[in-house]
Amino acid sequence: MRLLFAYIDPGAGSLVIQAIIATVVSIPFFFRNAIRSMVAKFRGKPQPVDEKGAAPPDPE
Amino acid sequence: MIGRPAAERVPGSYRDPSGFVFRRDGVLYRQINLRIADDWSLFSSSGLHAALIEKGLLVADEPAALDLAPEPGAFEVVRPEEIGFISYPYEWCFSQLKDAALLTLQAQTLAAEHGMTLRDASAYNVQFRRGRPILIDTLSFERARSDEPWKPYRQFCEHFLAPLALMAHRDGRLGLLLRDFIDGVPLDLASALLPRGTRWSPGLAAHVHLHSRAQRQHAGSGAEASRAVKVSDTRRRALLDHLRRTVEGLHLPAQGTQWADYADQTSYTAAGTASKEAIVGRMLQAANGKRAWDVGANTGRYSAIAATAGYEVVAIDGDWAAVERHYLALRSTNERRIMPLLADLADPSPAIGWANRERASLLERAGADVVMALAVVHHLAIGRNVPLPMVSELLARLAPKLIVEWVPKEDPMVGRLLSAREDVFPDYSVGGFRAAFGRDFKIVEQAPIDDSPRVLFRMERLD
Repeated sequence: MRLLFAYIDPGAGSLVIQAIIATVVSIPFFFRNAIRSMVAKFRGKPQPVDEKGAAPPDPE
Repeated sequence: MIGRPAAERVPGSYRDPSGFVFRRDGVLYRQINLRIADDWSLFSSSGLHAALIEKGLLVADEPAALDLAPEPGAFEVVRPEEIGFISYPYEWCFSQLKDAALLTLQAQTLAAEHGMTLRDASAYNVQFRRGRPILIDTLSFERARSDEPWKPYRQFCEHFLAPLALMAHRDGRLGLLLRDFIDGVPLDLASALLPRGTRWSPGLAAHVHLHSRAQRQHAGSGAEASRAVKVSDTRRRALLDHLRRTVEGLHLPAQGTQWADYADQTSYTAAGTASKEAIVGRMLQAANGKRAWDVGANTGRYSAIAATAGYEVVAIDGDWAAVERHYLALRSTNERRIMPLLADLADPSPAIGWANRERASLLERAGADVVMALAVVHHLAIGRNVPLPMVSELLARLAPKLIVEWVPKEDPMVGRLLSAREDVFPDYSVGGFRAAFGRDFKIVEQAPIDDSPRVLFRMERLD
């Protein structure tokens, strides 16, 4: 098995819980994105994908 | 090498073996080491480097001569754009830290689109430039490998999520915990301090409470447990999306504090305010500087005057709610020349970290041309019992020029400070003030404020 290369300690417990949380939250994530893409298709224009637009854009 | 100025490594730049930042002849450079050569090449060839800079998420840099590298193992040397004033997460208000967290996640999203990922998510990798957060660590990106967990998860939760949750759900002052915990707020501490009700908020339940419990349970199980962990690309995206939603869902409770409401209830009449604004504006012009520190800035009425007069301003206040209000007000406008900063002049941010050199004290970062100390001397002299000569001495350390307001005892605001205590300040008089400040400064001009017993002084440091 491959070693995880990281100069910071990712923490064993943090990695384990991250995998569990990621699995659980991927279910609503999947459905939300599916609904969005359906709405986008229906409206005929592209909708921003869920995770984009995270921070307010820098208007510079 | 003969004739070449010595290189000096920036004290906070030692954790990552992939490179470090140093100064040579006053110029800031970054050495990039061979061990990260592949990732560094991909960073450019994937277009991520250019995309981050174009979107204003990362400071720009330009190539520099390789022989500037002060240490062996260099692959490249770059010269990054410098940030005018370096600030630290414990000097930011809630919304500054929140914007820095969202910036980090936004950079991660962009990296993922280019086949890369963040290697770390330290709050110290973020600075504020022209009013907005920006990443300063060009070496934070590496090639994304499928099924690998998001390695900075723990660091992101400790540096950003935990302090933000504590500020939002417990008390706005808890961001100051970052001063005591340079590696971020330990999750067991955050979990213990957060109200029980946060266990029912899915984001905090997962990323703080369960996360903390998992850390405890796996404290002894090193390599084996972590090597077995796989997180598919979709799940990793879902995790990051959930983190973003959790951060975005955190808000400060709407409440004023002593200071945030203070600007609205000063003792000035309308004529007095107009007079003070005009005098301050004129004195700032006469001081003819570029950078100003406004100490005791509150929500920034006079910082705005300095910005209008062409200054880059660091607007310091000790009350988190005032800094929060100031930052939010600036964010909603196009004013980019003011940096609101949470700090107490009577207890400025200390130097912290390795050898007490990793993060510089606030006084070490003083580099202004002018310091504005408006309606602040009485808070230090009477509110905090600091003798006037010591107030003068500190202000003289901050800048060569000073605009200071004298608030006499007969002023209602001083009356309020003295209302419940013995007046142990016999030297608190305009004579005492002039004598104390005369030891460090030459008084260049003075102007009484209309409709008020207060007087503004413009001074220059005796060197």
